[in-house]
Amino acid sequence: MKVRPRGTDGSLLSSLPWTMAALAVSVAPHLPYLPIWISGAFFGCAVWRYLIERRRRALPSVWFRALLALACFMGVLVTYATISGVGPGSALLAIMAALKLLETRKRRDQFVLLFISIFLVMSSLLREQYLWSLPYLIISIVVIMTAWLRMSADHDEPARQSFSTGGRLLLYAAPLTVAMWIFFPRIAVPFWAVPMDTGTATTGISDSMSPGDVSKLSLSDAVAFRVKFDGPIPAARYRYWRGLVLTVFNGRTWSMNDPYEGPRVHEEVSGLSDPIQYKITLEATRQSWVFALDMPQSWTLDSTIMGPQQQLVRARPIDQRVSYDAVSYIDFSTNANLSKYARSWYQQLPDGSNPRTQALARNMRSAAGSDNAFIEAVLRKFNEEEYFYTLEPPPLGSNSVDRFLFDTRRGFCEHFASAFAVIMRAAGVPARIVLGYQGGEINPIAGHLIVRQSDAHAWNEVWLPGYGWYRIDPTAAVAPDRIDLGANDAAFEGFGAAWGSSAQSQFLQRLSMALDALDARWNDWVLGYGPERQNQFMEWLGMQNPDWQKLMLTMIGLVLALIALISLLLAWRYKPPASDAAALLFRRFARKTGLEPGTGETSTRFAQRAIQSGRLPAAAVESVTSAYHDARYGPGDESAIARLKRAVDAIR
Amino acid sequence: MQRGNILEKLHTSEEAQRAAIKRAQTALGGIILGKNEQITLALACLLARGHLLIEDLPGLGKTMLAQALARVLGLSFQRIQFTSDLLPADIIGVSVFRQNRGEFEFQPGPIFSQLILADEVNRATPKAQSALLEGMEEQQVSVDGTTRALPDPFFVVATQNPGDQIGTFPLPESQLDRFLMRIQMGYPNEDSERELLAGDDRRSMLKNIEPVANPEMLIALQKSVRGVHVSEALIDYIQALVRHTRESADIEIGLSPRGAQALVAAARAVAFVENHSGAFPDDVQAVFAAIAGHRLKPAGGTRFRSPAELCQHVLDSVAIP
Repeated sequence: MKVRPRGTDGSLLSSLPWTMAALAVSVAPHLPYLPIWISGAFFGCAVWRYLIERRRRALPSVWFRALLALACFMGVLVTYATISGVGPGSALLAIMAALKLLETRKRRDQFVLLFISIFLVMSSLLREQYLWSLPYLIISIVVIMTAWLRMSADHDEPARQSFSTGGRLLLYAAPLTVAMWIFFPRIAVPFWAVPMDTGTATTGISDSMSPGDVSKLSLSDAVAFRVKFDGPIPAARYRYWRGLVLTVFNGRTWSMNDPYEGPRVHEEVSGLSDPIQYKITLEATRQSWVFALDMPQSWTLDSTIMGPQQQLVRARPIDQRVSYDAVSYIDFSTNANLSKYARSWYQQLPDGSNPRTQALARNMRSAAGSDNAFIEAVLRKFNEEEYFYTLEPPPLGSNSVDRFLFDTRRGFCEHFASAFAVIMRAAGVPARIVLGYQGGEINPIAGHLIVRQSDAHAWNEVWLPGYGWYRIDPTAAVAPDRIDLGANDAAFEGFGAAWGSSAQSQFLQRLSMALDALDARWNDWVLGYGPERQNQFMEWLGMQNPDWQKLMLTMIGLVLALIALISLLLAWRYKPPASDAAALLFRRFARKTGLEPGTGETSTRFAQRAIQSGRLPAAAVESVTSAYHDARYGPGDESAIARLKRAVDAIR
Repeated sequence: MQRGNILEKLHTSEEAQRAAIKRAQTALGGIILGKNEQITLALACLLARGHLLIEDLPGLGKTMLAQALARVLGLSFQRIQFTSDLLPADIIGVSVFRQNRGEFEFQPGPIFSQLILADEVNRATPKAQSALLEGMEEQQVSVDGTTRALPDPFFVVATQNPGDQIGTFPLPESQLDRFLMRIQMGYPNEDSERELLAGDDRRSMLKNIEPVANPEMLIALQKSVRGVHVSEALIDYIQALVRHTRESADIEIGLSPRGAQALVAAARAVAFVENHSGAFPDDVQAVFAAIAGHRLKPAGGTRFRSPAELCQHVLDSVAIP
């Protein structure tokens, strides 16, 4: 038979599948983000390596592996055009783990693989953290630990045992982890910055509005933000979440004006009703818009300012979940003065666009007599004439407003808002479009409001002389349910009610609300445990003026104490075999007698000697000896050990 | 209810067993004066289903001990006086031709008894010795091509004069090994001897002994002995002792695995007699000389005058783990 000196010896056959399982578990969260060729290469390498071990083939040569590594590196570079950042970083880690498999020969290499899998698991947290991230993290670590233990396991040791050992080790580490997590000083500006992937699609509202933009969002069930009100939750028709304000129309698309153009004088806002206080937890959007209940008066988010049209903008994008307190007035007025320049800005329309609409607007305005009557007439037109609210509007060409108003007559909020603004402007009434969210779903379990992407909405503001900016929602004229019930509850053409009323769907809704409540809590307390929360928590714990030195010292002290405690627990829980415990106790007794047991001297004879020495009462010595005999040489009985311990302890 | 009854029965039977042992010890102690240690060992040997070799000078009560044992335990007893002209047939029996029936009939020899006293076993020729020894080992004998089972229980108590006396055929090691224990009687102490001299005739006393057990009970006792707990710690000790006998420079041939087994069995029996909760190191030490004395072969030029001294040295050198 031909001997293959370079072939594997099959020694890794039992532990290698476990190592691969650990790798698979740690790569899994990256899969949706990795280019398909990396996932494929990963799978291919794993199968290849397993077959090599199975069939005792030789590993690929050094040159081949080096070439492969270079090719993969170039592949990552080509795919991402960079190698820094979470995406390329995890892609490199994944592909290198796959290649490392091809040179895994010894246990040492397996260790490296498991280290890589730990890195992979951790790097998935850099992307995004969800409610399920922690359970998944724990599962992955247990699998990795099991794989680790499998490497040193005896052949006949069942995998179950390695698994439970891994779990137990993790359990011992858990208190340390929690303590370090709580006390590790959080600082506002991290030392390190994770380079976020550029070019990742942003979620939520974009900075311009073309027909179809918002309705696309309406299909997304994702949470935009959650709101916890200090007082009662305002009625749905007042819940307009102001985002950005669009002032420029090019005939098809509405967009914001350039910050250096347009009216830059801030409009003063005065509240007319009681202030409403609330806290918003905004999911990451990777954009700058900050949402607040119309009309926000104050907010606590850092580096956020209010633009000239009362839109809140943050200086850096919201690339992770943020929460902030805000105060708003549902009833408010802006200052009644509008400069001539501003007035003309809000009346701008591109020349010659949507001619039919412009003509209609001028006719209606002259027929109405006043701005107020004109506005009412337009809303009545939307309400009484055949306009339909639908999520699947027919496509519009150029002169989209004309097409919509006169031909298709079907649209979503952006169509109505856009048409309304054009009509207003054509008739000389200053108008603009506000993008944001409307309504939101109340979670009765957590008592907060969930605003989803499907709640995205566009409405108008018109400027009325002597009054200021006034909010008008033309969609409400067409589909009042959309405003009163919210996007989800209103039944639209082509879009059935999201929730029926059957018991099952009620249960599902309750379940979804409970999950949402849990998610919000988790976001708030665990994922959102930043400097502020930490300070709060430390003060609640009684630490005065917590700073990072104090936190660090507390953490070190606590960790040391926990280590000592866990060690003690382990030592206490360690039960030597019963006979050994008895032997230890008897040795203690022997020390107490002050005599040295002779070689080959039985406990009986030693006890006699102890009695003869007269230092100890005979009865005490005899009870020790008899208990010792029962415990160590009798048929195993726990009570004998206890008896022996008592007897030994009784001797001073 | 039933379970309780059974447990109660078991309990009382254990109690009865212990009482019987106690009474046997007392009865034997009343005849063989001042030899409690030997009595215990002899009882333990029988309880461990082993054969006993008593070695000492004539007139020290060897035969008396064997007879008393048989009597106390209620066993059928035969004595075979070994002499240099003893033939195997004298031990096993012969087939006699019966003319009236025209066939051979087997006349069982003295070996077909529950307890045999093989007196002065080393006086007989090896051929006669081996007839006895086959029975000891197999608990059966072969006569004229027929295998005949010996009674159960079956014990051999052999006595032997010290090998250095004139006209003896010392048993070889392989045959000594068949005896679980070898004990020495030794001279009685002053008080015992005085009582012996002043007291009644021992032989008539022997006739008056009431049996405290019967063969069935003895079998039950042997079963109980096998149930005595032997802990890991005790096995450790026995292994340490055995290892020492094999590694010591003073000993040429150490204890065999069979010798170690014998040690465990005998320690169990002594533990039972002494009413210990399990076999203790004390029990091992009590039987060690009796078990190992005839099995160890001291190295040439040994500094120990007797096997007992060698065994004591072993016990003193091995730490109890």
